[in-house]
Amino acid sequence: MSVALEVCRMAEERLGWDALGGVVAVGVEVGDDAGVEPENLAFCLEAVLATPPFHGAKPVITRLPGDVLRLSYLEVEDAGPND
Amino acid sequence: MPVRTIDVRERVMAKNDELAAGVRTRLRAAGVPTFNLVSSPGSGKTLLLERTLADLGAELHIAVITGDVQTQNDADRLARHTDHLVQAVVTNGACHLDARQVETALDAIDLSDTDLLFIENVGNLVCPASWDLGEDAKIVLFSVTEGEDKPVKYPKMFREARVCVFTKMDLLAHVPFSVVRATGIALEVNPGLQFLYTSALRGDGMEEWYGFLRSQLRPVCAL
Repeated sequence: MSVALEVCRMAEERLGWDALGGVVAVGVEVGDDAGVEPENLAFCLEAVLATPPFHGAKPVITRLPGDVLRLSYLEVEDAGPND
Repeated sequence: MPVRTIDVRERVMAKNDELAAGVRTRLRAAGVPTFNLVSSPGSGKTLLLERTLADLGAELHIAVITGDVQTQNDADRLARHTDHLVQAVVTNGACHLDARQVETALDAIDLSDTDLLFIENVGNLVCPASWDLGEDAKIVLFSVTEGEDKPVKYPKMFREARVCVFTKMDLLAHVPFSVVRATGIALEVNPGLQFLYTSALRGDGMEEWYGFLRSQLRPVCAL
């Protein structure tokens, strides 16, 4: 859960609190030797991302060799410029 | 609504590691060896520290930062054995300490009057392995009431540790635990691991533990 909370803090740092509701997916890379169980992380992220300020963003875990543990990308709704 | 992808590619531990580096610099400049005690819950971290504070308190100024999910019971127990500061950190649900909490706790400790600092982490063999607190070394406690295969079940923690302290050795006669087998399994995970065998309750192995601690003391670094 601590890793999930840190991922959310990083998303807030990157996007700002007000934009977190528009996050659609959170990509995290998890190495086989990272000391993190991908299924557990996905479960924890899903739980956190279901609560405000998030609106049910989907965690996308990618397994990799090595000990990498990285927030890879954020997918956000693109409101675009007003017509 | 269209979706755009923002590349981040940032290590999850980057911010914590940055803070930990600052803590480490601060502690090394003050010449305070710092050990992060980690173990599963109930392995005897607090008892080992109680005995250490009681036995070495007249010789060394030892400060302790304790981390607990709730309550400051451990800090209260330790404070009975020392006049020096025992700083409690209640993590409010988090299963480990992080570098920011240690950085804040250090503000309450007079490092110029401290010979040795222990950080008693939250009892957990998973998450604390991943969080650098700025310590000199992690010391993993391994009680004889646990399974001999703990090191292969929680390899990251045993890989990260420099020292493994077996605890509750007084119970060996009552449990089916082979110290030789457990030591061998731990060495498979981390061939460089150093071992100590203790019973804080009965006093076995405590002189070796104190010898290790004394060997880690150092003069203040010149800035």
